[in-house]
Amino acid sequence: MSDDDGELPKAVDSRRRTRWSGIVGLTLGRWWRRATRTTTGRIVSTVAAVALTIALLVVITGVALALADGGVTTGDDADVRVIPEDSGTLSSVNGVEGPRLGETNERAATIRAQDGVDHASPVLVETAQLEASDAEPRTVRLVGVVPDEEPRTVAGLPTGELEAGDPHYANGSYDGPREGEIVLSPTAAERLDADAGDDIPVSIGGAGETERVDTAAPSVTVTVAAVADEGSGTGDAPVALVHLSELQSYSGGDDGQLADRLLIWGETEAAQSAASGAYPTAAVEVAGGTDPSALFDDGLAFATSVIALLVGVTICASFVATTMGMTVNEDRRTLAVLESVGFPTHSQLAVVAVSTGITTLVGSIAGVGLGMVGIVGVNAAANATVAPGAVAHFHPLLVPYAIGVALLSGLVAVPYPLAVAARTSVLEEVGR
Amino acid sequence: MSNQSVHGSRSSARDRADERESTAAVRLEGVTHEYGSTGGRFRSGDERTVTALRDVSFDVPEGMIVGLEGPSGSGKSTVLHAVAGLLVPTSGSVELRETDLAALSDSERTRVRRHHIGIVFQRFHLLPSLSARANVALPLVQSGVPRADRRARATALLEEVGLGDRTTHLPGELSGGERQRVAIARALSTDPDVIVADEPTGELDTATGADVLELLTDVGRDRAVLVASHDEATLEVADRVVTLCDGRVDDVR
Repeated sequence: MSDDDGELPKAVDSRRRTRWSGIVGLTLGRWWRRATRTTTGRIVSTVAAVALTIALLVVITGVALALADGGVTTGDDADVRVIPEDSGTLSSVNGVEGPRLGETNERAATIRAQDGVDHASPVLVETAQLEASDAEPRTVRLVGVVPDEEPRTVAGLPTGELEAGDPHYANGSYDGPREGEIVLSPTAAERLDADAGDDIPVSIGGAGETERVDTAAPSVTVTVAAVADEGSGTGDAPVALVHLSELQSYSGGDDGQLADRLLIWGETEAAQSAASGAYPTAAVEVAGGTDPSALFDDGLAFATSVIALLVGVTICASFVATTMGMTVNEDRRTLAVLESVGFPTHSQLAVVAVSTGITTLVGSIAGVGLGMVGIVGVNAAANATVAPGAVAHFHPLLVPYAIGVALLSGLVAVPYPLAVAARTSVLEEVGR
Repeated sequence: MSNQSVHGSRSSARDRADERESTAAVRLEGVTHEYGSTGGRFRSGDERTVTALRDVSFDVPEGMIVGLEGPSGSGKSTVLHAVAGLLVPTSGSVELRETDLAALSDSERTRVRRHHIGIVFQRFHLLPSLSARANVALPLVQSGVPRADRRARATALLEEVGLGDRTTHLPGELSGGERQRVAIARALSTDPDVIVADEPTGELDTATGADVLELLTDVGRDRAVLVASHDEATLEVADRVVTLCDGRVDDVR
């Protein structure tokens, strides 16, 4: 009395496929009607719980991505960025240097000569002490760039306020004339109580130093070329732009033409190709494309994302297990009816498992959407308050990641509703 | 699958019984069942044993409607569940076309039920979130029947039970009589050898109940039908009536 007695293997396979597609279709149809037509709203509340959890996961992972991608000093409008492998958040912590790119001035010049490349500039970030009007030293992050005639943004500041070019570099001799210009962020200007045209003594050293002048470094004076407008991408960060070679000279970075990154403007493909040619072993990032693998290189970002993952899976699995268990408990009669019309136990459990899977999947998709909105919201809130600039990044890989996490949660949760289903007594249910 | 119409002229149940062969589609032999005993898959969970059936034996021949009557607690439903393979009796045998259901595994009994037994419940037990057509097609899903064939078969059955214009309605949008007709159509979807009906008119008014009985009579022409009921009108359509009392066969007429 087998279903498959006398059937050819191909026919058996076809029947099996039809059966499973029928069970999935049946479950989908029931799920949809129950989600849209029942008044208890159990399915909807489960979907909402999953969605909120996944949205939280997406937002926190987005924040971790932003952490891994660097702080405000990466706020540029370049099309391609070249960064050393293994660079990370720690490299921007005062007094702790990460890996840097070498020969940057030369190679940037080579890159600029490529077709499709509009401009290329190494970027060096150094912490310095600038003397305020009250003669007290203030810590400011100096960002060295090579400006050109086009208005561009680096570290949230307009490079166009600096004289184009980098004459002090002088083909690597570092003996050309100094421009001595500096463009201050609003916060830096406020700290220094400086306006355009003011002269400010600078010493390269680092935050936390109590000495006004680092004796190991030359003390120079720069003139404020401009103060960026409020609303520039620097937010509350005390940042300032200077010419690259001058900063390299102040900081000792001229020995090896060091820079933290290299920015390229132009056609993406040409810029990428030029960047890869100049730095074959460095990481090449395309604008708007945060590299998710950076999470693994950054301890804080990695820990944040792992915690988000664990919390997400735990909360999501708990919600799904509890609510789906309650749903199945209310739905025992359906399982009894399925048994009475000839659905074996494994098919009944498949109905429950597929139903749980659909709930989780729909919740995760909604959660990704909510998470994207959340990231926009977090960035907007940060811009409006304490940390202007992108404090959370969205990456397309977050979509499969979030859905995968939700499905994993569903997998963790599914044994409970299955156990509830397996305890159903058909006689008790149909006899009621 | 048989193509007989479920509608047709209704002849006397006794006359039809005389015209048919008396091949037993279902045979119960010395069936005893104790709830709370180790026999059977579905137990009450109560440590006390309650004897629901005691040495029950009778046949349900093919093409015959057999009624089961008796007071509440007499064992009618237990007999139906045993015949439907939903329950394995503590002792005795329940044979469906000479296959002892008690000797089969759970999955084998489920398969037998899917292909050879149709069940009609007093409270219909339709899935509320499925349309009438999807409810009727439900047993065909597990049988691996392609979707188009399932829909065609379900639509044809609904037309046969007079619900051709209700195929997309949900159970909640149907009257009690219509729901029971859907349940009967569902029981017929796999063209089973045996129909088991537990108080099929118990939830219906007299006129609607009469319609459902007529339908059952029609579907019973080529099948064995076992109907449990308190209702005299229901038992009147039976070719034979088995009276149960305290789990024993008290009378067969």
